[in-house]
Amino acid sequence: MSATPIAPTPVSPTTAHLVGRRRSARKRRAGRVGINALALLVFVVMVFPVYWMVSTAFKTGPDIFGYTPTWFPIHATFANFGDAIHRQYFWRDVANSLIVVVAVVIISLVLALLAALALAKFRFYGRRAFIVLIIAVQMIPLNALIIPLYIALSRAHEVNKLSGVIITYLTFVLPFTIWTLRGFIIGVPKDLEEAAMVDGATRFGAFVRILLPLVGPGLVATSIFAFIQAWNEYIIAYVFLSSPTKQTLTVWLASFTTNRGTAWGPLMAAATLTSLPVVVFFVLVQRKIAFGLTAGAVRG
Amino acid sequence: MKARVIAAVLLAAVLAAAATTASGSVAKHNATTVTVWLQDDAKNGWADAVAAATRSFQAKHPGVNVDVQYQQWTTHLTKFDAALAGNNAPDVIELGNSETAKYMAAGAFAPIKAKAYPNSSKWLAGLKSSCTYNGKLLCVPYYAGARAVIYRMDYYRQAGIRSTPRSLNQFVADGKKLMKKFGKDGNFSAFYYPGKNWYATMGFVYDYGGQIAVKKNGKWKGALTSPQAIKGLTAAKSVMKALSRAPRTTDEAHPYPSIPFAKGKVASFVGNGWEWPYTLDPKVGNPGLANVMNAYPMPSHVKGRYMPTFLGGSDLAIPATSGNKTLAADWIAAYTSTANEKKMSDAGNIPNASNLAALAAGNPKVSPFARAAKYNWFVPISPNWSNVESGNVLQEMCQAIFTGRKSVRAAATSASNTITRILNTGS
Amino acid sequence: MAAVESELAVSSRRRPRWSRHRIARGVAPYALLAPATIAIGAVLAYPLYLLVRLSFERYGLFELIRHKGVWIGAANYTRILHDGQFWHVVLRTLAFTAVNVSLTMVLGTAIALLLVQLNSFMRMLLTAGLVFVWATPVVVAVDIWRWMVDSEFGVANWTLTKLHFGNFTHHDWFVNPWSGFAVITALVVWGAIPFVTITVFAGLSQVPDELLEAARIDGARPFAVFREITLPLLKPIFVILASLSIIWDFQVFNQVWIMLDQRPSSDYFLMSIYSFFESFRISEYGLGSAIAVVMVLIMLVVTSFYVRQMVKAGEVR
Repeated sequence: MSATPIAPTPVSPTTAHLVGRRRSARKRRAGRVGINALALLVFVVMVFPVYWMVSTAFKTGPDIFGYTPTWFPIHATFANFGDAIHRQYFWRDVANSLIVVVAVVIISLVLALLAALALAKFRFYGRRAFIVLIIAVQMIPLNALIIPLYIALSRAHEVNKLSGVIITYLTFVLPFTIWTLRGFIIGVPKDLEEAAMVDGATRFGAFVRILLPLVGPGLVATSIFAFIQAWNEYIIAYVFLSSPTKQTLTVWLASFTTNRGTAWGPLMAAATLTSLPVVVFFVLVQRKIAFGLTAGAVRG
Repeated sequence: MKARVIAAVLLAAVLAAAATTASGSVAKHNATTVTVWLQDDAKNGWADAVAAATRSFQAKHPGVNVDVQYQQWTTHLTKFDAALAGNNAPDVIELGNSETAKYMAAGAFAPIKAKAYPNSSKWLAGLKSSCTYNGKLLCVPYYAGARAVIYRMDYYRQAGIRSTPRSLNQFVADGKKLMKKFGKDGNFSAFYYPGKNWYATMGFVYDYGGQIAVKKNGKWKGALTSPQAIKGLTAAKSVMKALSRAPRTTDEAHPYPSIPFAKGKVASFVGNGWEWPYTLDPKVGNPGLANVMNAYPMPSHVKGRYMPTFLGGSDLAIPATSGNKTLAADWIAAYTSTANEKKMSDAGNIPNASNLAALAAGNPKVSPFARAAKYNWFVPISPNWSNVESGNVLQEMCQAIFTGRKSVRAAATSASNTITRILNTGS
Repeated sequence: MAAVESELAVSSRRRPRWSRHRIARGVAPYALLAPATIAIGAVLAYPLYLLVRLSFERYGLFELIRHKGVWIGAANYTRILHDGQFWHVVLRTLAFTAVNVSLTMVLGTAIALLLVQLNSFMRMLLTAGLVFVWATPVVVAVDIWRWMVDSEFGVANWTLTKLHFGNFTHHDWFVNPWSGFAVITALVVWGAIPFVTITVFAGLSQVPDELLEAARIDGARPFAVFREITLPLLKPIFVILASLSIIWDFQVFNQVWIMLDQRPSSDYFLMSIYSFFESFRISEYGLGSAIAVVMVLIMLVVTSFYVRQMVKAGEVR
């Protein structure tokens, strides 16, 4: 790699277009159309099953099962959603899921960031062992752990408690989160931190002002991951939480499938409702990813 | 600034977690609680029976809490195993009658004194056998389920069928009339019979005198290669070929026959009692069929008799680790009272005792199924039976026969040998 | 530039309170690691010990109720290793993992690169779509896919027949394990792409614009820019994603289990299913635990290349 300047030169997004002006305007438009068409195709292919879920949520019974598929719910109805929301314990389960998820996301981000810093920035005895251990922990199949975990938590009186579920989820989420954050921290050129410290900042100050914003996108990606893991997990929540007042939304969702026929419309409505908070969370934090893109411009 | 935000958020998380821990610890300190695990069928179908049982139980035992928790069929055994391992098993648990053998053999249940329960002297033999192991009674019959032929009266009339068939030959003849009248539609079946519906196929086997397996001198032997069983399987194959356009590779739940039936593509199918109202449910089926649907027991090849139906159902057991065994027994007795069995019967089930059959007889939507239960069959009572079911042995045998991949004899031989091996493991 | 560098080096050596920093640095990493280690260790230490111990015991339903297993040494392991089916399952799982991971990494990265090129509206749209896919609970996603390939009412059969690809009415996709696994692979890759895409995209956003500009001004073509500049910078992230994908895809369970109505035939057995089957269906928890331990060992071997890379990468400079 060439010897690039340490202090970043501000390059605003607009200059990028100046460079591209060499290509003809027509070629650029065609390229733009092509790219957008490709993106649309990818979008349709990826989102179709989700579209199927959401559109089924709005369909009436006869439209759901048809020898000819009903592509668009012309006779849209909200009855399925009403059915789902009015099921017992819905709001209680939403609250439980939210508590679990918020706790898991926040605690895992903090703990993982600290651990990732240690792994990325320091050399110490036991580092390699810890790394291997962290990776190995993720290789243990969850199903094999159900009974041993239950026995352990039962002895600690953490069964049928949200806190028991929270700490269990942390063990699933932490290894990956530590890994990914370490990767992001390593990816930040060390020179930037050193440059800040030349200006007299303490190590902590350099961390907060320089490193944290740059690792921002990594924090966002891992927080979405932690959110989804905690929000959608089923078997641990079902086995560990007995009282209906403590159960999470995924357990509630599973109750739509009974041994006496599945209520497809309400199930799809319930699934749509269950997926919404993640999308909302993403919309809230997605600005941070975009921020990372233009960070180069602002830094100077 | 950022540090303060982080600290505040952390504090909130810790408080939230603490709050959840705190709420848990207050619950159990003084009052005794009887924990009951029922399946969600009770919640959806006869929740008032549950409430009535708890009320009458609490009248007898004031101050005792009853915590009814509803479980899901797909994963409840996993949860039960974990609870047993962690010493947290409930005081009462509902199990399907084909799930009990394994647990009975392992000593998971406390012995039951039949006299303490209502109608116990008349409990249905099929259910009682799923509660008996080595001569000991280890659970309480809860309710039964049977299958009968659900059909469309208007289609039958249009095809010229005046009365429901009394023998298998008549059934096939009637079915052929239906196929002649409506069969031009490639999706139409006179009798919707999916290839992996082993419940229906074993009915044929038992009707001709065959069995799945027999126990002699303490050893099990698969019996599907007997001449009677082969006759039954061959009869099933010819019925399917003549009357059904259902896929040969799907089972009786994917899709539920109610779905194509509601679309008018099916004249009849063998189904559980609850599949009748399921067909009329506006969310999945067609409420407009209410006046043209009816049911009759599947006829045997012997005129006047019924083809044996699989006797499904559930039992209630008291785990041996429970600390409230007498209270649990009292709750179960309150729950299986005659009044409650009537409520369950109204919801489409067959009551657990033969003297209560009259309850079902009065209900036209339940009585055909109750009548069909007169001739019934059940799986071999062996702790290893659930491994046969998990191993898909019978489903794959059926699929092989009906797709023509294997001859009847070859498929039956292979399945029989596998069943012999599995049922004898560990003995 | 060299002058600036040496000035930095000099200033760091002349940092005041040098000895206190040294001690702080010695304790610092352990202090930073402690909370996470305690969180994981407190929950997993005992269960892990139990898991390993169970793998050396005969622990069926009978023993489970009495909370006491019977020590049988390595008998579970020998039983597994001599079971013909076991080796088929291992090979099947390895092949399945290889296919899924490759597809996921390639497609995920491709879409991430596409995202970079888009204007912000299209990017938001596509990313929102991907997140919605990611957000769908696995159980529901499997239900939807199952239904799409349903033999009677499925969209797939209807569409293929309409497009004259053949007669797919009542076609059962799972009779043939190859076509069944094709459907399951599509489902797994579909579900895994969003995560890879979003993480790679986050990594791409870290690539300093000025490097890309410098290369482009020098006249480098887009692919060369990607290969020479972007790829090396993203290497740590790719290594992590690849190893994680291997670990996760090796343990795929729900997609197969639910797609086949909790009754997969032995042709569909992957290692996680084999382990669950032995534990919960046949109630041989000791055997199931042994299979799980073997799974971990296999995964350690398979990912050892990546693990070594990860351990070496980012050694403190």
